[in-house]
Amino acid sequence: MSNLLPPIGHALRPARFGVRFSKLVRQRETGLLLLIVLTCVVVGIKDIHFLSCEVWREILVRCAATAIVACGVMLVVVTGEIDISVGSLMALLAAVMGRMISEHEWDISCWIGIPATLGLGTLIGVFTGCLVSVGRVPSIIVTLGLLTALRGLTTLIMGGQNIDRLPEGLTQLAKQGLCGVPLSILAAVGVIGLTSVLIHHIPLGRRLYALGSSAESARMAGLSAVRLKLFVFGYTGFLTALATIVDVPRLPKIEAGIGSEFELLVITCVVVGGVAISGGHGRLSGVLLAVVLMTMIRPVLTFMDIGEAGEKWTRAIQGMFILLAVVTDSFFLRRQRSSGGEHTA
Amino acid sequence: MNSKSQAGNAFSFSWWHETVIGVLLLVVLLVAGWLVPGFLKPHSQLLLSRHLWEFAILALGMTLVILTGGIDLSVGSTMGLSAVVFGCVQTSTGSLVAASLSCLATGLCCGAVNGGLISQLRLHPLIVTLATFAAYRGIAEGWSQGNSYSRFGTNFSSLARGSWFGVPLPGVVFCVMAIGFAVFLSKTPNGRFLKAIGHNERAAKFSGIAVERIRFWLYATSGLLAGLASLIYVARFDTAKADVGKGFELDVITAVVLGGTSISGGRGNILGTLLGLLLIHETRMLVSRYWRSDELQWIVIGSLLIVAVLAYQLIARKPRS
Repeated sequence: MSNLLPPIGHALRPARFGVRFSKLVRQRETGLLLLIVLTCVVVGIKDIHFLSCEVWREILVRCAATAIVACGVMLVVVTGEIDISVGSLMALLAAVMGRMISEHEWDISCWIGIPATLGLGTLIGVFTGCLVSVGRVPSIIVTLGLLTALRGLTTLIMGGQNIDRLPEGLTQLAKQGLCGVPLSILAAVGVIGLTSVLIHHIPLGRRLYALGSSAESARMAGLSAVRLKLFVFGYTGFLTALATIVDVPRLPKIEAGIGSEFELLVITCVVVGGVAISGGHGRLSGVLLAVVLMTMIRPVLTFMDIGEAGEKWTRAIQGMFILLAVVTDSFFLRRQRSSGGEHTA
Repeated sequence: MNSKSQAGNAFSFSWWHETVIGVLLLVVLLVAGWLVPGFLKPHSQLLLSRHLWEFAILALGMTLVILTGGIDLSVGSTMGLSAVVFGCVQTSTGSLVAASLSCLATGLCCGAVNGGLISQLRLHPLIVTLATFAAYRGIAEGWSQGNSYSRFGTNFSSLARGSWFGVPLPGVVFCVMAIGFAVFLSKTPNGRFLKAIGHNERAAKFSGIAVERIRFWLYATSGLLAGLASLIYVARFDTAKADVGKGFELDVITAVVLGGTSISGGRGNILGTLLGLLLIHETRMLVSRYWRSDELQWIVIGSLLIVAVLAYQLIARKPRS
């Protein structure tokens, strides 16, 4: 967290401490990190096994797919749009990929099947972007329509049957990975690196934030909203395909209901991570911490040993976290600039 | 979501969308009458309509919410929570009246929580209702622990299954409410304020409209309607479970948007919502009766939504100068 602090010369002056402290408190990352650490300590005291490597490996593996897709959706939200179709897209891609490479189905080589899946994901993403930017249909409508349509298409492709027997090599790679690190975690690290370079080190990232802050100013500054939107939706489609490829082979079989409500989990993580839904605001680190926090809920409930009864509350706790996040947001923002009639979150 | 300007740019003929949807509805009905014999008979239409009423009631509230530029994702979850409260109260007290009242009250409370957060803390409706979407359903699941409550007696289920001059009782309730909402929207100052808020919230506020109060009651109403829809749903199936109303929010929003209500607010009416509802309903019934496939109706409805809005954007909007 040290890179978030102002330079040391500033910090030494006692008068600045209050400012620095309140700034640190206001950072979404601080709150999330505190919550994660606190939860770990509490659960760790109850059952020390929670802090073991195996448990955390499992948690991180479960995080991976969400983190990969969240990187894309975060950029979409930063530009002021929204994508609620990632869950259905994931299901469709899983079905198509399963059909192509499963030994019981067409049995095409992975070397063709996987690039084809990536291509299809990107294509659908670009198509969404086209409708949003060229067709000027609000993104929530396009992705709401796709959410329904792609789910139907998936069921049609699956034909009421589950797909199993993916190639042995891919399943092994997904489960054990390279040098003991699961494939999904490797992919997630790669995507996080790529996305942070995108955001922080090349002009493209700043253009996305500019577009999200004010579409009109961005247009006047000569940015092409069409191209930027095509990019973010295409990128999200690509990442969804990647997440499907690394995550789905872990499962014993591919079902039609795969990835249902995944879009809501991803949006939740993006929002809890401090990305403003109106665009132009938010950091990748916050989103990633939110992904860890949201994924932790279920294992924590399991370790707290409250049994089946407790796990049923998972969703209620998720909802509470979103509320907590936005309410603290509005509280701090209010104090920051007490006037202002706009929505805050 | 940022295109606030579309309503103002429409052609002077302001019923474009309703016309398009109306024509589409006619086409669907003609095709259905041709493909499925007896589809258009009043009797079979009334029989099929039993799937419609919960959606229709939710859609009334959703129209008003979307008209102000908001959205309510939590209606389905509110239905689930109301149903569980209904089941709990019914099994513990044995009184159907108390159970029904508490079901409606739960809906109202859920809506009021949304409304309070949105209007008092000035949070974005999408986020608040996304949170309560998860929270209400989660509370319903945690509370009921996956149990379902059933057998509320024939008196109760006749509420949903009974009819009045051939029209199912929920249909009668809906028709009365639809007329009420339409009159409210077009003939009363508060109804017109809703459109004003959707068009330009700040201007509405500066012209003295109590934006926050209206918004609060709007979401509370939406919650109350969800409670009512939940009551009808429970009566129809004679079962109350935590998963009542799952996925309803998306269908309802689809119907409202298909009916020409602009998602960024300021434009829309009850007639359009009715047409949108009917279009979705008839398409769904046609597909399920003729092709007997659930997945196909999802594809058709999803594409219909995108194509209808795209067509509207292309036809009725002047290109930007």
